[in-house]
Amino acid sequence: MSSTKEHTVDPQHWLERYGDYLFNYAVVRVNDRGKAEDLVQETFLAGLKARDRFRGESTERTWLTSILKRKIIDTYRKKYTSKESSFGEHEQTVFDGDFYRSEEPFRGHWLEGMGPNSHSLLPEGELEQAELMKFIRLCIENLPPQLAASFVMKMIDEEDSDTICKELGITSSNLWVMLHRARLRMRDCLEKKWLN
Amino acid sequence: MAKGPGYRMMVYMSKRMIACDEASFLISLREDHRLGSRRWWQLKMHLLTCHLCRKYAHQIGQLNRSLEVYRDQCSHESCEHHLSPEADSRISKVVTRELNAK
Repeated sequence: MSSTKEHTVDPQHWLERYGDYLFNYAVVRVNDRGKAEDLVQETFLAGLKARDRFRGESTERTWLTSILKRKIIDTYRKKYTSKESSFGEHEQTVFDGDFYRSEEPFRGHWLEGMGPNSHSLLPEGELEQAELMKFIRLCIENLPPQLAASFVMKMIDEEDSDTICKELGITSSNLWVMLHRARLRMRDCLEKKWLN
Repeated sequence: MAKGPGYRMMVYMSKRMIACDEASFLISLREDHRLGSRRWWQLKMHLLTCHLCRKYAHQIGQLNRSLEVYRDQCSHESCEHHLSPEADSRISKVVTRELNAK
């Protein structure tokens, strides 16, 4: 392949070649089909504007994915800073009144019915696995936006903690509490929705 | 109701050990961060006596494994999300218009 060819982009075929891939990438992370479609469109438009800067150091798909990733992070940041995305009065503490008892002397112990049962959260067979994947997506959708942003960045995008803190403008202590609360809710949601 | 030795033992233990809210936080924290020795021991002691938190720790490990599968599936074309025909047509028009404008 010549070096000239490596540096060219082919926008006329982007939709056909990468449309579904980018849509998949976005919908798994933002859990909103309409928003994911908008993000794919915005990615193509941003790619068109920046196409002169494409240096061929990565494939066209990787380059477009990196643009999409920036846009998804902007979406997380907007969700994180929106007023309606608050997730409870004890936001910065490990205590979560939805799961633990608040009365002494058993403050902090599991509330009845909120602790884990002995079922396995691992699927048996392909059919169960497909079902579980569907419920993981539903449970991520049900997370409060702030928790979803940090959880998806950490567990799906595998971003390191420093990057997440920088992007969301939070401290590492905030992040750990948010991840804890997200895991609490994910486990509870899967146990109630998938296992039942 | 009479509060027997079992109840008093529970009260004694609950005052000296971390409770389930803190233990479950430490279970989550150790996924992302190395626990210091004090916290590590606090969690270990709690897990020895609390079957619910042991189950919780086990399920968090299972959740991580399921999320790995979810991540791998959805980073490949095998994930079953496709752009709707309407979105496909809309994006195509917008991109073509933008290309022609240049």
